[in-house]
Amino acid sequence: MTLGDVERAAILAALFTYSAGGRLRMPTFLDEIFSPEQIARDDDSCANWGRDWTRDRAPAPSAVVFPKTAEEVQALVRRAAETATALVPSGGRTGLSGGAVAANGEVVVSFDKMNRIVDFDATDRIARCQPGVVTGALQSFAEDRGLMYPVDFASSGSSHIGGNIATNAGGIKVIRYGLTRDWVTGLQVVTGAGELLKCNQGLTKNATGYDLRHLFVGSEGTLGFIVEAEMRLAKAAQPHRVMVLGVPQFPDLLKVLAAFQQEITLSAFEFFSQIALDKVRAHRDLAEPLSTPTNFYALLEFDDSEEDAAMAAFARVMEEGWVTDGVLSQSDAQAASLWQLREGISESIAIYTPYKNDLAVKVSALPEFLTKVTDCVQAAYPDYEVCWYGHIGDGNLHLNILKPAALSIEEFYANCGTISPQIFALVEAAGGSISAEHGVGTLKADYLQFSRSPEQIAVMRGLKSLFDPHGIMNPGKLLV
Amino acid sequence: MKVMVPVKRVVDYNVKVRVKPDGSGVDLNNVKMSVNPFCEIGIEEAVRLKEAGSATEVIAVAVGSTACQEQLRTCLALGADRAVLIETTDEVQPLGVARALAALQAKEEAGLVIFGKQSIDGDNCQTGQMFAALANMPQGTFASEVTIEGDKVKVIREVDGGLQTVQLSMPAVVSTDLRLNEPRYASLPNIMKAKKKPLDVHSPQDLGVDVAPTMEVLNVAPPAERAAGIIVDSVEALVDKLKNEAKVIS
Repeated sequence: MTLGDVERAAILAALFTYSAGGRLRMPTFLDEIFSPEQIARDDDSCANWGRDWTRDRAPAPSAVVFPKTAEEVQALVRRAAETATALVPSGGRTGLSGGAVAANGEVVVSFDKMNRIVDFDATDRIARCQPGVVTGALQSFAEDRGLMYPVDFASSGSSHIGGNIATNAGGIKVIRYGLTRDWVTGLQVVTGAGELLKCNQGLTKNATGYDLRHLFVGSEGTLGFIVEAEMRLAKAAQPHRVMVLGVPQFPDLLKVLAAFQQEITLSAFEFFSQIALDKVRAHRDLAEPLSTPTNFYALLEFDDSEEDAAMAAFARVMEEGWVTDGVLSQSDAQAASLWQLREGISESIAIYTPYKNDLAVKVSALPEFLTKVTDCVQAAYPDYEVCWYGHIGDGNLHLNILKPAALSIEEFYANCGTISPQIFALVEAAGGSISAEHGVGTLKADYLQFSRSPEQIAVMRGLKSLFDPHGIMNPGKLLV
Repeated sequence: MKVMVPVKRVVDYNVKVRVKPDGSGVDLNNVKMSVNPFCEIGIEEAVRLKEAGSATEVIAVAVGSTACQEQLRTCLALGADRAVLIETTDEVQPLGVARALAALQAKEEAGLVIFGKQSIDGDNCQTGQMFAALANMPQGTFASEVTIEGDKVKVIREVDGGLQTVQLSMPAVVSTDLRLNEPRYASLPNIMKAKKKPLDVHSPQDLGVDVAPTMEVLNVAPPAERAAGIIVDSVEALVDKLKNEAKVIS
């Protein structure tokens, strides 16, 4: 009699025992697949590779492995399926939703050693990347060839292409260049069943039914692990300008957006509040951009060639009284320092261990939504500082509630947790998303129903069991 | 007192410079051009002197192609009162620029001329010094602090291993170092106002000078690519390589 997969997994799982420290003993099959330097089991490595940027759950993986080839990943998944060993994929570990946290004795699969750009074709403008290629490395690679990889965000110096795809990362240029999804022309994936799927192999046109590639984009490692990606590169960007405008009233930000979009093509339209600006300036010792501080700021980026049209739009928004002051970068160095005002915020508020929320509503619904959420937080906890910033051009707001110094982290998170359902109810009422670009991970898994109907969640569960029949691929994330 | 600030249009500091395949120069196609950062510091210092009441007028001057007007407008937006372009299609070199500026100084009689210590493209660090010689003016180069004291200017200079303080009788030449100040952003209302400020264009002939290049560039080559590193098996192997191959230890 042969054992079925499930039975075998159950028997093998029962063979594992807990060590004295409470950590699950490491599955022995890892040594059969990987050489010793590809396996780490010490506490420091487990703590390092076992988590992302979230700090609400302590990392406790049983081991970290560093595969070098797709074959090794496939062998690992197959053995993990047989032994019911849970696997957690790990990229640049810059996630903000706990999607890469291993807190329950899982084996972390780090793609740090699969970091090569294997191939590039100038005619197709496609770079074939291993999943561990750092986003910034792909950007430099493109730049060296007179091209551009246009998906960009504050963590591009650490984040991996594989992680970008698994979370469908967006960032600061979405308004013009779209999301990671729009640049993936092919994927090779090892599913939870241990199958290697080659999806779309770089084609632009491919009308042969379900495009499986897009199921893996944004799947947070719950269906399979990406082992190779074909990334399309864009024509190099024109020299650009950055403008920062002072906008006293939040609703006027949208009028400013519309006024500029009427005149020019924006490659970014970001906003931040005075509170956010104060924090980032203090943290990075940056100069005040405008001579007259105000409540909100918009940061715009556009091509140099559109400067005259942008100035015309500026004249209009000044006349209308929506904008009180503004500056325009006169060099790329200045453009970079103006961007710091926006990109440095997340890091500068980290010391306040903020309660983060990454929300999206339609652009037109933003003003009412922002007011309601602010009121909701202030009504419950009037002494909490609410720090807003985000990619307002695409409807994406980053809400950060800052912890008062006197409060313990536990109490603070617990308090914020009590208002989460109210905030998500506001999102649902506005027809928005409880996670615009940070993913669901563990942080929002309990709230998925605010953005997805029971029917949709049932379909998602069906897909999960189809691709990951043993439930070993990043369990506890996205769907719980 | 008038303050004159020569500014140079250069490839932006943040641009990754590429050498043309034929070695004739740097590829400027589709490349961002900006005010030389040291010249920008010069404009900022001049504007601060005016704001403090020490200067009455700030004049930004460029020698070069008509495209330099873009950088002069930036200077006007940053607070310069007027701009002068000495227009030439010749490749600009330090001596030609110094001659043209000396001729302009004879007309303008500025009390202080603030240069950037060098331009980030040519890295010559010559124009201010040549100008001082041609205009017969004292010079305080690599300034990290500039103070007007009556008809004199006190300049704290960044020299190797320390600071040197000099006092110059005006008219005088100052060249800026990095720590002199942090230039402000150009405000949009000021950029709009700058469009209406005067920008005069002269030819070198108007000033009676010749700015034709006196040096010929034979070849431009990028820095040699760094060889890839290797991973050694043991400390012994590392020590051996450092001793016998790299020869950095003995």
